[in-house]
Amino acid sequence: MAVTRERLTRALAPKVVAVIGDKKASGYNWLRSMKEFDGPVYSVQVDENEIPGIEELGIPNYKSLTDIPDQVDFAVCAVPRQVAPFIVQGCVEANVGGVTLFTSGFAETGEDIGVELQDKIFEIADPAGLALIGPNCMGLHVPGLGVRFNRDQPAGVQGNIGFVSQSGTHGMNFSLTGAAHGLYCSTLVSFGNGIILEASDYLEYLADDPQTEVIGMYIEGARDGQRLFRTLKEVAAKKPVIIWKGGQTEGGGRAIRSHTASLASDQAIWEAMIKQVGAVAVHNLDEMIDVVKATLLTKRTQGNRLGLIAMTGGQSVVLTDAFEKVGWKVPTLSDESYAQLSEFFNIIGGSYRNPLDAAGTIGQDPKHLDTIFDILNADENIDAVGMELSATFMARRWQDKPEEFDRLIGSLKKFMAESDKPFLAALHPSHLEEAALTARMRLQDEGIATFPSFERAANALRKASTLAAV
Amino acid sequence: MTDVIAAARAANRTILSEVEAKQLLADAGINVTETRLATSIDEAAAHAAELGYPVALKVVSDKITHKTDVGGVELGVADEEALRAACQRIHERVTAAVEDPQAQGVSVQPMAEPGAEVILGITQDQQFGPVLMFGLGGVFVEVLKDVAFRIVPLEPRDAAEMIREIQGFPLLEGFRGQRAANLEAIESMLLQLSEFAEANPEIAELDLNPVFARPDGAIAVDARILLTSSD
Repeated sequence: MAVTRERLTRALAPKVVAVIGDKKASGYNWLRSMKEFDGPVYSVQVDENEIPGIEELGIPNYKSLTDIPDQVDFAVCAVPRQVAPFIVQGCVEANVGGVTLFTSGFAETGEDIGVELQDKIFEIADPAGLALIGPNCMGLHVPGLGVRFNRDQPAGVQGNIGFVSQSGTHGMNFSLTGAAHGLYCSTLVSFGNGIILEASDYLEYLADDPQTEVIGMYIEGARDGQRLFRTLKEVAAKKPVIIWKGGQTEGGGRAIRSHTASLASDQAIWEAMIKQVGAVAVHNLDEMIDVVKATLLTKRTQGNRLGLIAMTGGQSVVLTDAFEKVGWKVPTLSDESYAQLSEFFNIIGGSYRNPLDAAGTIGQDPKHLDTIFDILNADENIDAVGMELSATFMARRWQDKPEEFDRLIGSLKKFMAESDKPFLAALHPSHLEEAALTARMRLQDEGIATFPSFERAANALRKASTLAAV
Repeated sequence: MTDVIAAARAANRTILSEVEAKQLLADAGINVTETRLATSIDEAAAHAAELGYPVALKVVSDKITHKTDVGGVELGVADEEALRAACQRIHERVTAAVEDPQAQGVSVQPMAEPGAEVILGITQDQQFGPVLMFGLGGVFVEVLKDVAFRIVPLEPRDAAEMIREIQGFPLLEGFRGQRAANLEAIESMLLQLSEFAEANPEIAELDLNPVFARPDGAIAVDARILLTSSD
């Protein structure tokens, strides 16, 4: 029986949560992770030795799900695999909306007993329409509701990124590292073996979820590839989708006689599929973070001509290289722009060709940056604007004179508000890495797309630009 | 059109001959050079007379996949006298190269007017089912692996994009005085092939290699089809 949307919503946006089988040996990770949950949390534990420790956390414990005097929407289950089918049965009887089975040791082991137990769980959960997440997964993270599976994950912040992950680690890393880049999830699901709910189910949910603006996915393989293909087509027409495909599966032992079959590597097929559905492919966590960031924080353009503002001549050159290498053009500006720039530009040690080598000019009078932005905004040869922010030169100064940093941020935000052209910044770390990081966090908080290198900035904007504005 | 597949299944074969493959494709409306099986030299001459010279002759045998490698191909055969000699040469070379070749005969087809050589193919992906490939023929596909894939079913936009996705695309637009290929004809053939793959799930692999992409259209001059194992 298919899981209804009502049931899935109860599971993924719960009002009442239960944790089944948490124990001291695991540091009560699950119960502690739910500390910020925006609603009642109950524990289910039958082991008399474990109960006092749980009650010390201030969490009421019951010996059975059905004893809980509340309707549980979402349960986390961390029991040994032999017990898991009984717990799933209990969830069905207690009309729980959905359950995450953290428990592993099922079909992924390849052992007969693991496969049998997994089949047993399926036989119980499927007819009941239970929204079962996993097994062999980390489950659910909804920062807005304080649902977490790791205590370092953010809580009390309403994010806008839906994330679907076949791997618990990559899901967790995205939520943790993303938060350090100012990126927060609306709903993140690590679904492991996905025996009841698979990637397509979560994608459909996120496509309709009003809080989700962009969707990221880490995936290694699809149980029903044609369904995933069709689902992604529909979802990517509604929201930007960014896909990180991990692993290479074997082509199998079949005899390959044609050119077509010999060239159809797993990687080639997935890359083609991702392109065909209108999503974009990324290949590691950093790239996922960068492209999500560019997708959320920069405007979309059909053009590929970039206006660049650099701080020194040397950086002008490599900044241009980084962008042109991935397909951007750094064209000459219009005659009108040059005429306007020539009126105030300090060309001693500077240049107002594109890229603009502008440190001296902006240093002379910070208002010049606003003028430069106005000129680039009006220039018809330019579709997007990128800027080097030099930690080497500026981070210490920003620390000493925060009002200068405030003024810079004001200029960037003014341009972003007034112009339809995408804007992004590259802030290289320097000898002052901590100061650079502080600056990056502030820029992120202000909604300015900031990247730790020119190459990452160029690639992120390129890939975000291939996504249709949906 | 499943007769061809049924016959191959009955004979416990998973490889279709070029004649059978082209029969299936022609029945599906895909533009292929008309190709007939001849089991004797007289029959080959009769076919050639009907199809019109010059013709191409290729050995037909379940045991031989790479016909050129065993000397099993004669191209541009101009008339009946040349045809009789060419059949003899194929017979001699193939029997020398392959032990007990079990040849059913030769295929006879008119020489198609050449164009840019492209390859279109189908394969089955374990996760996504049938997948289409497009590339430029010869060294581009074999050495440079300059090809594009799409999952079946294709939309018209997919066909247009995969042609333009390959690195060698400018060659199809008429590079250095070469005649431009008819891109719409290639797109149509890709879309036909997508329907063909959907309608024939028993096709494990297919190569149309080469397809001549000319200004006036596209035509497959060789076709290879491998069926899924019947178990």
